[in-house]
Amino acid sequence: MIMTNDPGTYLPIEVRQLRHSYGDREVLRGLNLAIAPGEIYALLGGNGAGKSTTLSALLGFIAPTSGSVSVAGIDPATDPQQARAQLAYVPESVALYDHLTARENLDYFLALAKAPRSPDGVIKPALDAVGLAHHAWNQRVGGFSKGMRQKVAIALALARHVPVLLLDEPTSGLDPRATMEFNRLIETARDRQVTILMVTHDLLSAVDVADRIGFLADGQIEEELAASNKSARFDLNTLHARYIGASAAA
Amino acid sequence: MSSPVIRIATEEWRSLARNRAGLIATLLLLALIIASAVVSFERRAGIEAERARYQASVDKGFDNQPARHPHRMVHYGQFVFRPLSPLAFVDVGVDSFTGNTIFLEGHRQNSANFSEARQSSLLLRFGQLTLAFVLQALAPLLLIFLSFTSVARERERGTLRLLLAQGVSGQQLLAGKLLGHGVIALAIGAPAFLLLAWLAASAFAPWSAVGLLIIGYAAWLLLWATMAVLISALVTRSRDALVALVGIWMVSVILLPRALPEVAATRAVLPSKIETEIALHRDLKQIGDAHNPDDPYFASFKARTLARYGVSRVEDMPVQYAGLVGMEGERLTTGLYAKSAKDMEAREAEQNGFVRAFGTLSPIIAVRQLSMALTGTGLAAHQDFLNQSEAFRYRFVQALNWMQAEKIPSVGGGEDPRVSADNWKTIPRFRYRPFAPPSALIWPNLLVLGGWLAGLMLLSVPIARRLGKAAR
Repeated sequence: MIMTNDPGTYLPIEVRQLRHSYGDREVLRGLNLAIAPGEIYALLGGNGAGKSTTLSALLGFIAPTSGSVSVAGIDPATDPQQARAQLAYVPESVALYDHLTARENLDYFLALAKAPRSPDGVIKPALDAVGLAHHAWNQRVGGFSKGMRQKVAIALALARHVPVLLLDEPTSGLDPRATMEFNRLIETARDRQVTILMVTHDLLSAVDVADRIGFLADGQIEEELAASNKSARFDLNTLHARYIGASAAA
Repeated sequence: MSSPVIRIATEEWRSLARNRAGLIATLLLLALIIASAVVSFERRAGIEAERARYQASVDKGFDNQPARHPHRMVHYGQFVFRPLSPLAFVDVGVDSFTGNTIFLEGHRQNSANFSEARQSSLLLRFGQLTLAFVLQALAPLLLIFLSFTSVARERERGTLRLLLAQGVSGQQLLAGKLLGHGVIALAIGAPAFLLLAWLAASAFAPWSAVGLLIIGYAAWLLLWATMAVLISALVTRSRDALVALVGIWMVSVILLPRALPEVAATRAVLPSKIETEIALHRDLKQIGDAHNPDDPYFASFKARTLARYGVSRVEDMPVQYAGLVGMEGERLTTGLYAKSAKDMEAREAEQNGFVRAFGTLSPIIAVRQLSMALTGTGLAAHQDFLNQSEAFRYRFVQALNWMQAEKIPSVGGGEDPRVSADNWKTIPRFRYRPFAPPSALIWPNLLVLGGWLAGLMLLSVPIARRLGKAAR
């Protein structure tokens, strides 16, 4: 288990010297990542850089070739159920059950996560928090837009009250307004001390919400930048140049 | 059982309830089960009433015969009808090919034993819209239709990854799906099971047969639901699961049960009717000729008979010698017929044994054999009827022969060679003893079904493990 400097506590997300190969192709080559409680970390990189593989390792869907992964002090490779109990995950394309309503989807996933799911105490506040229109709560999600589905997924993450949130290309396919709304939701989660790892191509969103941005290239973090303070955020031109460089390297 | 398992199972039921096509297909099959049960039940009742009417009619016809020579009554013969078992409406079995009626007369064994239908492997084939057909062939198809997407669609639409991310293990997910679809399978069979239980509770059918029938069909339906879910979990796309399952259904439910009897027929060839009759005629000639005074066998029989009665001439015997010759002739020919029938039975048993051995490969064989055994419509029940009717035929003919020997003591003396009509009522009537299926027709088949189910459950362990890792 990986510990912080504070004895007895663990970083919500910590990855050390993570290597993983698909056959002969090594995707991650000694990745190191440490994310503090309540921090939003945006992981940027080109296609095939290893972003999704990193998420899969944190979710326990793959076992590292070498190195270690920790979610709130738990190794997902050896105890995936316990590790997953500490995190919520929003995939790029939010897959929900089309024959269920937004409420029913939340109820079902919360039941499987063995989380409290009282209609008024948990589900309603979560749907309120993500701003899903009330009339949509009892509609089957088959007709929902991607943005509405994202809101349901974020509501699920909020309702579970877990310390870690993993986002896989969360703003991909969203219009600017929906992206902005989504970013505000992320900040709401951060305000609740949720640690967020956001894997994305969306530089603007990363600049908008992230506390730190890591550029993944060649299976490692090539460069990491932190916002010096909330008012003086990243320089977009600099970031853009670095992102293009990292994408080319990947 | 942990709650996620039950929650996943209940979600499968809700999904079915909201799937219009699945719901309509399920309701149609349930209607078909009820309709086939009602129609088959009525058909059985109709056949049974007709059988009773015909039996009463032929019995009356026999009793009302005028005074005549008993040997003429030997050739007048008797029809016997096999009463259908109470559960025969469930499964017609081989009855369509064998029939339930046999004409009995002297010197000849019942004709059904050597009917053309029995020379064919068609004996082992059957197909009518009965409860058995719906449960054996159509219900698995519906279960495939309802279950082929159960896990594969979770993978296709991405919910599998999200489910696992909630902390659900592959084992829990698969157990939930198996539970959900297992209950759906039992619900599909429920109308048939409830009807059978009601018949048993009404003392119409024995609980033992009904209970085992329900267990057998429940295992059969569970087997298909389990297989459909496991294959859905193994493949990456729903349509691959559908193709695989329909292929398995076609081979195991349609092809194998029809192809195996053909193979069995080539392995143990049954003689044709004409071959059987020629062989019997040859054997009969070898026994001897009762009408030939120089025939060595009957010359010896005559000497022994005269000695037994302590007389030197047949005319001095207290009974008619010709009647005793008739009895001896019947004893000898019956022995030959019995031997021929045993040979035929042995070859049919060899054919059936070959088919049954494949029950381990195709559980449809096991469920069919079990169903026919418990509903009393299988080959064993038919064979039992033949044996009972043949034993009766022998008693019937010998009773008439003895009547001839006893009541017409001498011939050629001017006496009337007829016996009075009152005597016909003293001749025994056929009393059918209901067929009790032997354990060998029940437990091995249940074992095959249980073994398949257990095997699939064992297979689910590595599949569940793979499922938990397959969401990358």
